[in-house]
Amino acid sequence: MGNLASIKCPKCAAPVTFDAETKFVKCSYCSSQVFIDRSGAGFYYAAPFMVDETNAVGMFRRWAAGSTKAKDLDRLAQIAGVKKKYFPVYMFKRDVNGKEQVVLEPAGSTTLPGLHSLKVPATDLKIFDGSFDIGGAELIKPDIEMTSYNDQLPGKPKEQALVFFPIWKLDYVFNQKRYEVVIDGSAGEVFSAEFPTRSSGAYMAVAGLGFVAFIAEGLLAAVSLPLALVLMGVTVVGVFVTALYVARRM
Amino acid sequence: MTGISVGLNCPACGGAISVVEGEDTIPCQYCGSMLFIEGDKGVSTIAFKSKVIHPNAVAATQAWWARGFKARDLKRVGQVTEVYPIYLPFWRALTRVAGWVCGYEERRHTDKNGKVTVERIPKEVMVLQDYNFSEIACDPGDLGIRTLKNFTGETSFADFEMIPTFEATTSKDDAVVHAKNDALSRARSSARVPHVTFERLHVVPKRLSMVYYPVWIVRYKYRDRMYMTGVDGVTGQVMSGRAPGDPVFQSLAVTAGASLGGMIAAAGLIFSDGSAEIAIGGLAVGAGILYVFYRFFRHGSEIVEGEFREKKGSSKQALKDIGSIAKQIQGGMR
Amino acid sequence: MRVVQVKCPSCNTPIYSKERDRLFFCDKCNTLHVRDGGTDKVEYEIAEFNKSAQGEKVYMPFWRMYSSFVIRSKSVEGGQLFRLANWLKGGGDTGSLFIYLPATDMEPSALKYWSTTFTATPPRYATRLNFGGVRRLPASMTKDEATQMADFVVVTMEAEKPGVLQRLDYSLTVNDAKVVYLPFVYAQSGLVPAL
Repeated sequence: MGNLASIKCPKCAAPVTFDAETKFVKCSYCSSQVFIDRSGAGFYYAAPFMVDETNAVGMFRRWAAGSTKAKDLDRLAQIAGVKKKYFPVYMFKRDVNGKEQVVLEPAGSTTLPGLHSLKVPATDLKIFDGSFDIGGAELIKPDIEMTSYNDQLPGKPKEQALVFFPIWKLDYVFNQKRYEVVIDGSAGEVFSAEFPTRSSGAYMAVAGLGFVAFIAEGLLAAVSLPLALVLMGVTVVGVFVTALYVARRM
Repeated sequence: MTGISVGLNCPACGGAISVVEGEDTIPCQYCGSMLFIEGDKGVSTIAFKSKVIHPNAVAATQAWWARGFKARDLKRVGQVTEVYPIYLPFWRALTRVAGWVCGYEERRHTDKNGKVTVERIPKEVMVLQDYNFSEIACDPGDLGIRTLKNFTGETSFADFEMIPTFEATTSKDDAVVHAKNDALSRARSSARVPHVTFERLHVVPKRLSMVYYPVWIVRYKYRDRMYMTGVDGVTGQVMSGRAPGDPVFQSLAVTAGASLGGMIAAAGLIFSDGSAEIAIGGLAVGAGILYVFYRFFRHGSEIVEGEFREKKGSSKQALKDIGSIAKQIQGGMR
Repeated sequence: MRVVQVKCPSCNTPIYSKERDRLFFCDKCNTLHVRDGGTDKVEYEIAEFNKSAQGEKVYMPFWRMYSSFVIRSKSVEGGQLFRLANWLKGGGDTGSLFIYLPATDMEPSALKYWSTTFTATPPRYATRLNFGGVRRLPASMTKDEATQMADFVVVTMEAEKPGVLQRLDYSLTVNDAKVVYLPFVYAQSGLVPAL
């Protein structure tokens, strides 16, 4: 927690440092309790990267191996570029008829997946000032004014902040087509708009045919038990082997 | 930046006073004056001390790899690459529910002649209980953790400066509303009155606090893919995680589902004795079983445990789906 | 946010105390007040201890809500015989009553016990002007909470009559609320009224 903001102690004027989200802090010189009232001031926060590039690529591969993605996407996707970025979001805390309400609005215009359905992901917020190390990330400049939201929001302002949150933007190519994903740089969630998908057809066929075969054999068992048992044995092996092939290859 | 802070001193004697967030009255420790805080008083906050250390978190994760239908070679191939603790913020609310639920239960009896009689048992049930509620106070992202399972442990802010602390970003008033709804539905179901004729329940929020809970994040590698588990920093249990599945288990599942489901459906047809109800019932039960196992076959290439938004491979989710499908069919038949 | 010294709204005397309590009592002019959004005086009574009370004395705060209760209709399964007996004694379904609710924080079962006990048989006591140096338990329940709980108390008393309650159509109006400090002594079994 190296990144602390500083204010002057209102009693003895000594510098008092405090971390984001603290409401009370004790002056280390005169031991006065200091309250930080954020209703008037807009704070700048940023979250540090907790996911490095290797991890981000590994998380992408885990996501790409998922059951809805094209088979072997994790191995076949060619990574075309990995970019480290900070994306800006406004966080408003409002007092609406005595109730606290948190509203998030984008501060930068974007087409990146996952960033329109806005939220501040689980993260360790730090005061963003000159001493904050962005670690070579590209800072996406906020191009939407905070005040443009202020008038439309319900209630009275309690606190407002500009939050930069860390993302990895990863481009990959699969079957000559280019796709992009965004990986949240603090908690590792993967966001994607469009991705190559896998068909459920083969899976359904195996399950459906196996089911029908067993119904038929079950009915046969009422007529001739030994024959039905032999056929069932064959079907069990057959279903298992086809299923294994499908699960591995399709 | 001096404009945004005020020093807190006793207005009577000028002595510096300590305020604990969430409390509105404080006796001054110097002159004994009763002091009152007007305006935003914050929420009382506690932090649990992490009892787990690095090797425990790794051991818990490795033990977790061996459980359930995860890739069989995970123990051999899996490689822990990163282990670190974080503090996650949770809203914790204590809510009291007081009231009565009255109504009746119906029991069906069939006598020897096949005549069905319905017995109506009246019930009056008092509900008077305090309910504990917790919900994560930030977006849980891909952590798979949404509620607290454990509320006991040593509390201390000693590690607060060392461990990255995730900030609370959700509204406390929303948390109170969620806590009230949760307490009400839990109270209602605890009363166990199937047919309600009278209900009067009062929900009184008693306390709201913020709990910072330590969670160890363990990241591991399996064939170039990065997976993660979250280990409870107090109890040492795995709270959530993702792991690779195994095609052999997926195939076994679909084989078991097709055979079991098929047999039940066949049995239904054989023993139906001309009754369409039994034949269709058997077919539906068989198909239901097939569906549960099919879900695992289709999505079991990744095993997900914990409170994630989507859990495709889980049998619980499949059962829920079946429940809602069954309800729709029932509704349609009426 | 602002820190203010708590002063009596009647005589402006600062209030000194070591315990956190929702209810502030001025020793000088015997005024009780509360600060829930505003500063409001609260009507109160302090009951006299029984002369023969033994052991460590303490005052417990109760909200006493003077309420009118009207049952428009109700249905009960079983227990008719008892209800008839009740009716013969003249126990009507409409009337006014004092509902007592402990204002101090306590377990749900204790809350139910003290509220139904005192509501069923209202305590009789002589009043006094101050606490006479006896410690008082801090209050934590607001008047709004007490009003909600008052509703629970009357439904409980209806439901606990013989028979199984099936439906109750009623209205409860709290006409006024007062804080009553009742005398208790610590005994081996816990707190015991010393009226």
